Amino acid sequence: MASSDRSPGPMPPGNGAVPPGKPMTIGQHVLDKGAQMLQTLKPIKQMSQHVCTFAAYSHDMTRQIQTHHFVHRLNQDFLQCAVYDSDAPDARLIGVEYIVSERTFETLPPEEQKLWHSHAHEIQSGLWVNPRVPEMVLKSELNDLAKTYGKFWCTWQVDRGDRLPLGAPALMMSPQEVNLGIVRAELVKERDRKYNICTDDLKKSRVDILGPEMMNPFADYWKKTGKGFANGIEQIQMKLRAPFP
Amino acid sequence: MSMEQRVLDRGAQLLQSLKPVKQTKQHACTFALYSHDMTRQIETHHFITRLNQDFLQCAVYDSNDAHARLIGIEYIISDSIFETLPTEEQKLCTLMRTRFCNFSSFWIKLGLWVNPGVPEMVMKTEMENLAKTYGKFWCTWQVDRGDKLPLGAPALVMSPQAVSEGIVRPDLIEKRNIKYNVSIEALKASRVEIAEPEWINPLADYWKQHGKGFSVDIEPAEMKKRAPFA
Repeated sequence: MASSDRSPGPMPPGNGAVPPGKPMTIGQHVLDKGAQMLQTLKPIKQMSQHVCTFAAYSHDMTRQIQTHHFVHRLNQDFLQCAVYDSDAPDARLIGVEYIVSERTFETLPPEEQKLWHSHAHEIQSGLWVNPRVPEMVLKSELNDLAKTYGKFWCTWQVDRGDRLPLGAPALMMSPQEVNLGIVRAELVKERDRKYNICTDDLKKSRVDILGPEMMNPFADYWKKTGKGFANGIEQIQMKLRAPFP
Repeated sequence: MSMEQRVLDRGAQLLQSLKPVKQTKQHACTFALYSHDMTRQIETHHFITRLNQDFLQCAVYDSNDAHARLIGIEYIISDSIFETLPTEEQKLCTLMRTRFCNFSSFWIKLGLWVNPGVPEMVMKTEMENLAKTYGKFWCTWQVDRGDKLPLGAPALVMSPQAVSEGIVRPDLIEKRNIKYNVSIEALKASRVEIAEPEWINPLADYWKQHGKGFSVDIEPAEMKKRAPFA
């Protein structure tokens, strides 16, 4: 059965577009605009931050991707992010990341904590950026986020050439300062060129940003075990409905 | 949230363009059922972006208010794209049709999928198109079982169907219809003409033929080692 660490088989034919499909009709555009004017779309309007950073697949950290998180803070301890593969209008929705504060993270059982990653290195090293927002505006937010932990499921593996979202969701990990966690220099350079920033300079300006008081030993679990996580999909006997009253 | 936090968020929001999110043009409210336990039925709020005429991507929430929790992602594809998928992939998908047009039976209400605030007639063509699509929906936060935080592996979620385990409980539908002021008469009138699909792929909604659902297991995996830097 399909699993997150195995290639899903031959790609559906097409002209190479990701995803395949016919261009939108004028009628469709008009309909979408009409609907949009009549609806409030409140949850979407809460996504108030765009963050550009990097992530790697837990089962294969040589696969590193640039990610675009659109962040909605639910309260002082919890954020939820719709994650895209770019910041363009045709960006593909490739996953979901949840971010929790240190104190919330400590309430999770260890088996759950193993699925999460820390953010301290990612932020301190300047990999995590909010394009077009001056650093000074962000300082307190970055201080806060550097102490958080994240859980990121990728539902569309665009980087391996999937033109459609195939297989099981894959668990993602954050950049770290050691071996497999180090983001390749050319990826960082490309990102920096696009946004006209310098990650190295950001790192220097973030030298006073601190990580969690005590780094949880179960987060970034691969660093201890050399093992990632892959998801498999199993067929199981369904629970049957109770009879209708 | 602190006042400082709110000011910060607003400031950042003014400076950034947030383009992908601005492409989200539709809100739909519908229902879904967990593949491994179809007695667990949830009301879902899809915030939909259409990438082309054959593909939509949805951020799925548990409500449509400002504190809604992001509980998963659904991808919706046309039947022509669906037919190009490998068979193992098709088994993970669900036919959307029943969300739009259930068959008559005295205890089934028509129209599970609604666009709150938008008159039926405006959405008519969209409903006709969507009734022929297939969806793949991963739920990453099982709020309905009381999870205060997103725990465990993602769950595969199915669309309602017109048979046995796939039927949505009438009390859930009624509660939703009252909340969103859904007119059953308007739904019936506009959706009665939605045509039968010419062909329904038997691999979608796999449980209907096989009585088996899907669950995701997380396994430790040996990590691929990095090649030396060039």
